[in-house]
Amino acid sequence: MKLYIKNYSSYRSDQEDINIKQVLKQKYKLDTRRQDDFIHLALYGAQLLKEKTVIRADDELYVTSGYGDVDVVQRTNTYVNKEKQPVKLFDFINLLGNTTSYYVAKSLNISGKNIFQISDNFTYINSLISLYASIRNSQKDAILCAIDLASTPTEVSKRVLGVDEDAETVSSVNYQKFSLDAEDAIAEIEFDMKTYSLDEVNTMLAEENRTVLSSIRCMKLQSLKDSKFFETLASYAVNSAMKKNEDMVYIDCFEEKYKILKLKSLR
Amino acid sequence: MNAYINTYELLCDAGDTKSLMEAVYNKESALVIDNSYIKDATAGLGKMEYEDIFTVMDAVTAKVLKESNLENFHNTLLILGSSVGGMQECEQIFYSEKSFKNIDPNRYSMNALSDYLMKKFNFYDTRALSTACTSSANALLLAKRLIEVEAYENILVMGVDGLCYSTVLGFYALSVLSDKKCTPFDKNRNGMNVAEAVGALLIQNVKQSDSIELKGVGASSDAYHMTNPDPEAGGAIASMENAIADAGLDIGEIDYVNAHGTATIANDRVESLAIEKLFGKNVYVSSTKAITGHTLGAAGAIEAIISCEVLKHAMIPPQTGLKELENQNINVPVQSIEMNIRNVISNSFAFGGNNTSIVFGV
Repeated sequence: MKLYIKNYSSYRSDQEDINIKQVLKQKYKLDTRRQDDFIHLALYGAQLLKEKTVIRADDELYVTSGYGDVDVVQRTNTYVNKEKQPVKLFDFINLLGNTTSYYVAKSLNISGKNIFQISDNFTYINSLISLYASIRNSQKDAILCAIDLASTPTEVSKRVLGVDEDAETVSSVNYQKFSLDAEDAIAEIEFDMKTYSLDEVNTMLAEENRTVLSSIRCMKLQSLKDSKFFETLASYAVNSAMKKNEDMVYIDCFEEKYKILKLKSLR
Repeated sequence: MNAYINTYELLCDAGDTKSLMEAVYNKESALVIDNSYIKDATAGLGKMEYEDIFTVMDAVTAKVLKESNLENFHNTLLILGSSVGGMQECEQIFYSEKSFKNIDPNRYSMNALSDYLMKKFNFYDTRALSTACTSSANALLLAKRLIEVEAYENILVMGVDGLCYSTVLGFYALSVLSDKKCTPFDKNRNGMNVAEAVGALLIQNVKQSDSIELKGVGASSDAYHMTNPDPEAGGAIASMENAIADAGLDIGEIDYVNAHGTATIANDRVESLAIEKLFGKNVYVSSTKAITGHTLGAAGAIEAIISCEVLKHAMIPPQTGLKELENQNINVPVQSIEMNIRNVISNSFAFGGNNTSIVFGV
């Protein structure tokens, strides 16, 4: 399966410390009321993408996340049970997965399909497969938002993700605009639905000349790993490689199964 | 590559598939009036009796496997749609212990349900979709697309949602929860009933003698309002048009609309308008949520199974609970109608104007 990337945007909280809500209000003149930090993060990435590329009304939108908005779940439960308060209306609305995709679609003026896919395994690669299967039929372009918010306290999200308590989690949002059409593309990305064993991956990597990056979940794999963690790190790695016009191989792992994606810069 | 629904099963307030269809055709609502979720108020709910939602998933999944042509699910993709995932158990632990400390992360998040089934049945891979009330409809949509590109040969689509305080109280806060058994499309309807269910459909690239074809899928996004649909019904119409076009059918080839029909003022008004604009009175329409309640993320899968059964029974389901039809320009039967049914369209609409329609046929 192969897709072309027309443009991208990236934000990581450990690399740029900004007040996102304030930027959305002041720079982008967006109404940020009734939304929480997860939605603000998604909207910020969307605005960065909008500055760099043309968004069409019929573009498809996919939002993918490792664990979604854990903060609002904790908040809702605390209100209802600990503080004996009723569910707050907008906490309930923000609890739902498609709330984020609604706000993103509205800010980008998209009226095509939108899907919120959530997973703590192969989050990014599996979303690419879904997106590819859809636009092969529709022949439209698609925007993928990969988002993870480092919730407070971080122990909850780390337990949900099953990562070590010492791991440093960060917030990040990364967008790409995908197409089946190579014209004006800045990179091509290849992936498939197949999962590989560690031995198979090592055999493939033995002949690999490109930079190889992997998730910190790939503990048995000798490769470069980001010291910080968020579930959609693969999306950031893709954007980072495109920024440097580099080719790259990214490997993700879940329960001894591996998936691979390959990025080729076209610049 | 075509996609076929070869085996399915469900459990809901009315029981399994067979019991549910008897209730649908006999107009016997399985909804109950409950006073345990909301302080000093009652709500119509669709409730099941079970130990926990995970055991219900086990039972439904095992039954589909047993009745399928597969020995196991090792080469099968699982796509599970749910609006709240493992929230029910998370709430129970938190409510009794007043702390998140002992919540098992593997049974907590949106994808906890699919992760659990993946390990239990050793599925090849999983996806968890959460688009509120369109979650499992979107799972069906994705399944069809993945079969088309030959990514998988076998896909188990599941819709799962267990009743929990967050959803019941959330819909109550939105003032859309009925204190009675819901009455879709009725002029005097006063809201929806939150419900729970587990549904599973095995989608394959091979046709069997009793297959129902997953003929077309369509989606649209209103991006009109967070909780209200586009009053001109643009999103609902686009969703149905896209599904019918994807199926390669004309409007006139659809015989029955299994409506989203939640019985909220906004949904039924707009969905009726969409059906009126698209079909006029040339198609039968009913909502089976008068029997099952609104099973939220499971609704797409539950109503897909009902649609398959309608095709097999060759009988249009009547509208339960209807006394006075609000929109007189659509055709909502109050008695079952025997006829040769070629194609059925099932609608699922969610907050944020997230619309999905699925066409089933023989």
